[in-house]
Amino acid sequence: MSIQLENDYGKIDITNDVIARVTGEATVECYGVVGMASKHQIRDGLTEILRKENFSRGVIVRNAGADMQIDLYIIVGYGTKITEVAYQVQSKVQYTLKKILGLTIGAVNIYVQGVRVTNL
Amino acid sequence: MKSIDGQKFAEMVQMGAHHLKQNADYVDSLNVFPVPDGDTGTNMNLSMTSGAKETAANSSGHLGRTSQALSKGLLMGARGNSGVILSQLFRGFGKAVEDKETLTAGEFAAALKYGVETAYKAVMKPVEGTILTVAREAAQQAVETAAESDDLIQVMEATVAEAKQSLKRTPDLLPVLKEVGVVDSGGQGLVYVYEGFLASLKGEELPERTVVLSMDELVSAEHHRSVQGFMDTADIQYGYCTEFMVRFEEDKTKDHPFDETQFRQQLSELGDSLLVISDEEIAKVHIHTEDPGDALSYGQTFGSLINIKIENMRQQHMDIVGSPASGNAGKEPAAKHPYAIVTVALGSGIAELLRSIGASYVIEGGQTMNPSTEDIVKAIREVGAERVLILPNNKNIILAAEQAAELAGIEAAVVPTKTVPEGLAAILAFNPEAQVSANAKTMTAAAASVKTGQVTTAVRDTTIDNVSIHKDDYMAIADGKITIATPSLETTMKALIGELITEDDEIVTIIYGEDVSEKEAEEMAAYIEGQSSNVEIELYSGRQPLYPYILSVE
Repeated sequence: MSIQLENDYGKIDITNDVIARVTGEATVECYGVVGMASKHQIRDGLTEILRKENFSRGVIVRNAGADMQIDLYIIVGYGTKITEVAYQVQSKVQYTLKKILGLTIGAVNIYVQGVRVTNL
Repeated sequence: MKSIDGQKFAEMVQMGAHHLKQNADYVDSLNVFPVPDGDTGTNMNLSMTSGAKETAANSSGHLGRTSQALSKGLLMGARGNSGVILSQLFRGFGKAVEDKETLTAGEFAAALKYGVETAYKAVMKPVEGTILTVAREAAQQAVETAAESDDLIQVMEATVAEAKQSLKRTPDLLPVLKEVGVVDSGGQGLVYVYEGFLASLKGEELPERTVVLSMDELVSAEHHRSVQGFMDTADIQYGYCTEFMVRFEEDKTKDHPFDETQFRQQLSELGDSLLVISDEEIAKVHIHTEDPGDALSYGQTFGSLINIKIENMRQQHMDIVGSPASGNAGKEPAAKHPYAIVTVALGSGIAELLRSIGASYVIEGGQTMNPSTEDIVKAIREVGAERVLILPNNKNIILAAEQAAELAGIEAAVVPTKTVPEGLAAILAFNPEAQVSANAKTMTAAAASVKTGQVTTAVRDTTIDNVSIHKDDYMAIADGKITIATPSLETTMKALIGELITEDDEIVTIIYGEDVSEKEAEEMAAYIEGQSSNVEIELYSGRQPLYPYILSVE
């Protein structure tokens, strides 16, 4: 699965893995996001917080031609306004993909998989 | 002033919100990060206004309750990145003063600091050079000043001064700001809030607009914003970047007085990216338009034109396209480990893997893989942490690790991991916010949730766990129990896989050793995939000796 672009010089092929990695990086820079969750059903109710190595596990790129959709599984910090954090992630992901890959995404869907409570 | 009560704090909040509102459009104009959509000021203003409303409706003489109202209003009205951060700052502040009737200078400073700590907790990768930085440095200054003075006004003055200094430094921390030539918009918003607090404490009125607008700053932010949308030169709708100044002339303005709002309105018909700044004598204009002449003619109706500059943006864009934009990857700050994970690994690939998920220090064991107590203590010293968790990843090292924890001289605990996969699972469960003892508990539980499979060769004939083993056989060890031994690596692996992987498992990580080629490992992965289609397989080259394969199943 990949995105193919063509110009006068030849083809450019961007794999979904690249899109997922870029998306993951953009997501974890967003304020309010404390982790990415694996898209797999979570066992024992323990959400595994993904580390840098596999952020893309919390990202699914669904490729339907021009109408590409991205699903993101995130964990947010307790006490933030979750709807607003999710909206910020959507906007940042759209912007980043447009800026560095020139891609316009049909939809960015956010799945908030957990809330992390920190007690000081 | 020695202390404030809830009533006074409510007044400060109103003043802060008002001052931010007055300057919201300027804050908008600075907004280039994280997404240059020019709404930071608007969002912050909406958030703060919601906070101020809730505060006004519920303010009491009790400071704690007033702060709670602010915190609730901010949370409900939080808009945008900066709004969410602002709500977190005051959520922490509110928590710190929950049951306080009044607040002294020292308590106020401590509450600011606690607010910052709360705000930093809600982000994985805090970006420095933003509102977070400004809030942190200002709060630090507040605490330092409060240590020497019990006067609230003095403390707030120092806080505002440091916030402004910190704001000035933001371009040094965040490259995109430097590129565009602006300071951080969210940070600027926070400075306005704090300035409002201070004015209220002093009982002063703030000027309606404090900014002496710098046109250059605004123009570069505006350009940065407008350029974002152009992937293609053909997308440029208004081709001429036009800047000029009008020096008002009495004979022209006598019966045709200059009114900034109306002037702006007229010009906005001609293009976009419009900026107008004026005082009694001069108006500065910046606009992107297709008809620079019309803009100039209109300006001339108020006086004479000076400093005219017109640039063809299509030409400029053509020149730029194809040349790579300068990257804005910030430098990673040097890693500090106030809270470290020290672990043990056999094989450079495994060491890399452990480091990549968060181990601060990996002791690479030799052939025997058994570092001594002294080796572990040395590693802990080298990390220079205040608190440490030790993961031995081997049954035979647990004891040495426990002794090292006692000798370390800092807060230390051992997570008794017996294998590398257990160590990996434990590190992933690490929570940098939690106490050492709590971490040791959750990490130990995480390690227990993983199944480990290992294959290694027998060094002599023997019988263990009712399995008869011959020298050089490949033995499969499932969670510490030897299950089979055969002369063939493949046969042993397949038996181990059948033993270990069940219906409920989702992820299998294969770490293959130095004696296994990548191709062999890939074939093994393909075999597992064929056996159970619903597992996800990850393949790592661990380059470990003695163990051709280490499997982690979860």
